[in-house]
Amino acid sequence: MRVAELSCSEFRTRLSTAGLRIKLGPFNVNIRSNLLSLTKQLYSLYSEHLLADNEIAEVHVSVVRAIALKTPFTPHVRFLLDGRSPYPLFPAYQALAALEWGINLGIAIRTNHLLLLHSAVVEKNGHALLFPAWPGSGKTTLCSALVHKGYRLFSDEFGLVDPDSGECIPIPRLMPLKNTSIEVIRNYLPKAQMGTSIANTQKGTVAHVVPPCDSIANANIRAHAKWIIFPKWVSGSSVEISPISESTAFLNLASNSFNYEVLGQTGFDTVTRLIRECRCFTLTYSDLNDVIDALDRLVEAQ
Amino acid sequence: MSLNQQQCIELVTRAITHSGELHKLPPSDWELLIRLSRKLKLLGRIAWIVDNSDQRSEIPSRAMNQLDSGLIQARKLQQATSWELDRVCWALQDTNITLVALKGVAYPLAGLPASGARAYIDLDVMVSEDELPVVESELLAQGWQHNQVSSYDEKYYRDWMHEIPALIHQERETEVDIHHAIVPKTSRLKCNSKLLLDESVPTSKRGLRVLNPVDMLIHCAVNLFNNNELADDLRDLLDIHDLVIHFSSKDTAFYSKLIARAKLLGTGRPLYYALHFSQKLFNTPIVDSVLQSVPNQPSGMTLKLMAFLVPRTLYPLHPDHPSRISILCRFLLYLRSHWLKMHMRELIPHLLYKSYLALGGGNTDG
Repeated sequence: MRVAELSCSEFRTRLSTAGLRIKLGPFNVNIRSNLLSLTKQLYSLYSEHLLADNEIAEVHVSVVRAIALKTPFTPHVRFLLDGRSPYPLFPAYQALAALEWGINLGIAIRTNHLLLLHSAVVEKNGHALLFPAWPGSGKTTLCSALVHKGYRLFSDEFGLVDPDSGECIPIPRLMPLKNTSIEVIRNYLPKAQMGTSIANTQKGTVAHVVPPCDSIANANIRAHAKWIIFPKWVSGSSVEISPISESTAFLNLASNSFNYEVLGQTGFDTVTRLIRECRCFTLTYSDLNDVIDALDRLVEAQ
Repeated sequence: MSLNQQQCIELVTRAITHSGELHKLPPSDWELLIRLSRKLKLLGRIAWIVDNSDQRSEIPSRAMNQLDSGLIQARKLQQATSWELDRVCWALQDTNITLVALKGVAYPLAGLPASGARAYIDLDVMVSEDELPVVESELLAQGWQHNQVSSYDEKYYRDWMHEIPALIHQERETEVDIHHAIVPKTSRLKCNSKLLLDESVPTSKRGLRVLNPVDMLIHCAVNLFNNNELADDLRDLLDIHDLVIHFSSKDTAFYSKLIARAKLLGTGRPLYYALHFSQKLFNTPIVDSVLQSVPNQPSGMTLKLMAFLVPRTLYPLHPDHPSRISILCRFLLYLRSHWLKMHMRELIPHLLYKSYLALGGGNTDG
C-alpha cells in the first residue's frame, strides 16, 4: 500500500502517534512527528513510498519541537534517532532537511552487513552505473537528470552493495539539490516534483527532488554494476569520458565508502569484485543533454 | 514498575537466560530487542548466541542483518583495540615496565568464551603509580598525544582520578586509558591496587599481563558498582556473569579465594552487589552460602533500595515510552556514583561546574 492511498488525516495520525512506517529500499524506517508543516510536506513528497505495516523497522526517527536556549521565541526542532539527538537544533522550517539527513545517518552508522559506498547509483537495461562522490562531482544533480531520462534511481547518495551476491540494492529516496543546482534542475525538468527550497542550512539552500514512481515501485529489483564513473562538473566543458586504471578506481571507490574499513576483508573483496566486473571511467561534463547522450551511447555499446 | 520498562527488562533478560528460544520471538519483540541491544552494545553478543545455538535460519532476516552488523562492528573495534595494545607494548618494549591489560581487551586473553563478540572502544591498561610518568612520557615521545582537555579536567584526572587523561595516537583513533589504580584517589573505597599488580598473571606476550581471575572479577564489580554511573551498563553485569561461570568451572577453590581477596582488598560491598544482581537477573549459579560469606554486605534497607534502583538503571529505558521513575532511578545512581568517587568538598563544586558547562556556560560555539 502506498502513502497516497492513506487519507491526509490517517497519514497525520500515524505520523503523530505510533509513527509512519515506510520502506526505503531494504530498510523500514519508522518516522514520528507532530509538526504540521512537516506532515504536509511528507504527505506530498513521500506519496509513492510503500508502507511497511507489521514489518520490523530498523531505523526509528522523530522530529520534535524544541526550544533553543539562545533564541527561545524562534521555533526550532530536534531530530532524534532512537531517542538520541545526534545534531544541534534546527530552525523549524528546516525540519525536512533535518529528517532526510538524519535518516541517512541512521542507515549509515548501523549498516555493516552491506557495503555502503558514497555514490549515486542508477540502472539501465538491467545494469547499474555507479557515480562515486568526490568534490565537484555534481552527482546528485546528474542523478536527478538521469532518472527522468530513462534511468532508474537506485540512490543519489548510498551505493548499497550486497557482499554475497555483489549486487547493488536500490534505496530510492528524495534527492537533495543544493544552491545553483536547484535552478538548473527546475529549468531542465520543469515537470519534476520538487519540495520547497530550504534556505540557510549547513549545506546552503536545499530542495528535494521526488524520484519517479517506477524507481520506487521497482525498488526490490537489484542489479549488478557494469560501469563505475567518476564525474566532475566543469563549467563550459564538453563531455569527456576517459578510462582509468583499476587501481586508481579501487582507491577512489574504497576511500569513498562509509564502512569499507569496518568490513575489513569483506570490504576489500567486495570492492575488488566491483572493480573487476565494471568498466571504470572519469567523466567531465557541463551540459546535461550532452552528458546524458554520452552515457546513453556508453550503455548501448555494451 | 511501568509495563514498558518491565517489557524491556524481560525481553533482554530472556535473550540471555533462555537464549535457545530466540527463534520463538515475534517480529515486534525482535524490533524492540534490537533497539535495546544496540543501546546496551549487545548486538554482537546476541548474534554470537544465535550462531552458537544454530538458530540463524529461524531469525527474521531484518533482525539478523542488524545483529550481524553489530557483530561486524564489534569485531572491528576489537581489532583496533588489540592492535593499539600491541603498539603500546611495542612502544614500551625497551623499558622494563609491566603492563596489565584491563576489561574488554583482557577477556580474550583470559579465554572468556563470548569475548569475541564484545564491543569495546577504549584500551584500558594499568601500571604502578611510580611507573606512570615514564609510561606517559614514552608514549608521548612516540606519537601519542593527549586529548585537548581543559585545565579543570586535567586536574580532575591527575589529582582525583585513577587514570591520566586519555592518550590517542596521531594516526589512529583508539583511546588509551592508563590507570594506576582501580578506584579514584578520592574514592570512599580504599583499595590497594598494588596488590592487584603484584598478583597479575603473565600472558604469552612479554611484558603484558592480565589480572588473575579473582581480581578480574573484583575489578569488574568495583568498576560497575563504584566507578560507573550504571545507566545502560547491563553489559558489565553480563561480564560478571561470564567471569563467574568461566572461572568457577576452572577452579573449585575460586569462590573461597574470591571471598578472601575481597576481604583483603576491602571490596566486599561492590562484589556483593555484583554477585547478587548477576544471580537475580541472569540466574548465575552462585550458591547462597557464597553470597552470605561476602564481607561488608549492605543492610537490608540498603539492599532493598538498590534492588529498586539498579535494574531500572542497568536496563535501557523503553525507547518510545521512557519511564519517569526509571529516569529518576538513573539520576539517583548517578549521584551515588559521584558521591562514592569523591568527598563532598570535591563533589559539590564539581557537579556545580559540570552543570554550568551543560547549560552552555564557557561555551564559545553555542
